[in-house]
Amino acid sequence: MSNQEEILAALKEAVVEYEEDDCAEAAQRALDEGVDPMIAVMDGLAAGMEEVGVLFDTNEYFVPEVLMCADALYKGLDILRPHITLDDDSPKASVVIGSIQGDVHDIGKNLVKMMFDVAGWDVHDLGRDVPLESFVEKQLDVNSDVLAMSAMMTTTMMGMKKVIAMVKEKNPECLIMLGGAPVTRDVANLFGADGYAESAGNAVSEGIKMIGRLREFQKGDIK
Amino acid sequence: MSELTGKERVQKLFKKEPLDTMPCFSGQGAVVVQAIEEMGTQFAKIHTDARLMAQSAITSARLFNMDAVVIPYDMAAVAEAMGRGISLYENADGVIYPTVPNKWKTLDEIDIPKDYMSQGRLPMIDEAFKIIKEEAPDLAVGAWVLGPFTLAGQIMELDILLKGLKKNKDATAAFLDQVTQVTVDMVKHYQELDVDFISVRDMGSGTDLLSPRMWKTLVGPNLKKVFDAITCVPSVNHICGSTDMIIEMMHECGADALSVDQKNNVVATREKLGNDVLLFGNFDPYKTLTQLEDMKEVEAIIKQCIDNGLDAVWPGCDIWPDIRKENMETYVKTVKEYGKKASPAVGRI
Repeated sequence: MSNQEEILAALKEAVVEYEEDDCAEAAQRALDEGVDPMIAVMDGLAAGMEEVGVLFDTNEYFVPEVLMCADALYKGLDILRPHITLDDDSPKASVVIGSIQGDVHDIGKNLVKMMFDVAGWDVHDLGRDVPLESFVEKQLDVNSDVLAMSAMMTTTMMGMKKVIAMVKEKNPECLIMLGGAPVTRDVANLFGADGYAESAGNAVSEGIKMIGRLREFQKGDIK
Repeated sequence: MSELTGKERVQKLFKKEPLDTMPCFSGQGAVVVQAIEEMGTQFAKIHTDARLMAQSAITSARLFNMDAVVIPYDMAAVAEAMGRGISLYENADGVIYPTVPNKWKTLDEIDIPKDYMSQGRLPMIDEAFKIIKEEAPDLAVGAWVLGPFTLAGQIMELDILLKGLKKNKDATAAFLDQVTQVTVDMVKHYQELDVDFISVRDMGSGTDLLSPRMWKTLVGPNLKKVFDAITCVPSVNHICGSTDMIIEMMHECGADALSVDQKNNVVATREKLGNDVLLFGNFDPYKTLTQLEDMKEVEAIIKQCIDNGLDAVWPGCDIWPDIRKENMETYVKTVKEYGKKASPAVGRI
């Protein structure tokens, strides 16, 4: 196994085994030994999270384990990300993300956010229990490519419809992604959203799968 | 023989005595906007005023011929009484349930006040129970409390709690013990108010979040303590989300009935538990009562619930208050007509 392969394997294992210190150590080693930080993120950290997704889908891991894996991933990401350089001709994508007013849950939202963080997007996290107009104001303010909203409860999802109408009226180019336990694809269509993160335990699974798709995209498997 | 009242029907159901038909009621929130409109008030106001809370519950039941009322409507009351605050969204459009804005962020910060039972809206909710019992003696009165794990997630940050289950096991277990005592005190209190049933909702503890192993060690034993404390009135153990892997353990907690949502395979559950166990559920309330436009589909969903072997057709979660009137009417009518045949645990007159 080459040095790079060894480091990538260590990053991956640290995420899967939710070992935060090991992850930080492997990330530092990657930098010290000249591994491309983007490769370390994608083929180390993100690859580890993909495996976590498999463990979650097969009921080996549950939400507590996934949250700890995410903590480990961030330990490595915080070290690697400042060293990733973007091409001048590829502008950085941005997302405004938050849990809708009336919803104080943010686990699903944070896992979807992790996907954007891994991808190196500019993430504007509004937190949770976010008033509807704050989504609209922030989106228009930063002109983000994506607006991602989460509602873990049926009782809060209706607010999404209003935000979508307000944003689409002023900025029809913005892609809108919905996630959260009660939001079905039908509801997303009904509300006029562009994307949909099938959700809850499912926001967890979906957030992780998005990382997998991102890796495929990076490798050119998805055009 | 004259028709049973709603109260009698629900009481007999829990005793597994023969019924005229299946009662139509819920252990989850069942307030509807039609009642709120008829009263000329707003959703945000019915959580803080005993009369409005009682009246909206009674009017909702009367409008649709339901057999019971259940209050309160939100899950923030106990956390609020512990000083965690309350967001009522009084200026927001439409229906938004109250939430808890200031959860404790670490286990070290937790300091449950001794006098919480007399704080926040808890005394007002007691008053609402009294009004309902006086003004609607023909309806069954249901109280509900959060199960210990879900209550813990209402008073402290859920992600810290979930990670604590793995990282900080002993301290988290001690915290859950403390919260269990709160739930025990709450159910004892509602027993003293002489309600007709108590539903314990540990809705955040399904296997969407926790492993069956964690449930067995950290949720089940605490729920058992709660059900052991309910000695004078019937009790329901409700968990929404995935419950197939824990249904036998739910049953072992000792409630008089189990309630599950649409994710549960009721046919398999019935096979596992046998015909003597009272089993409630399990339709998707948002889809069935708010979204569907074809009443034949609503009717089919309710009939399927009965055919699958449920003893009462309960929504899997709170009824979304902004229901379609005809959907709600179809739900109740189908239960009352199709429910004339005996259910697995309860015969018919």
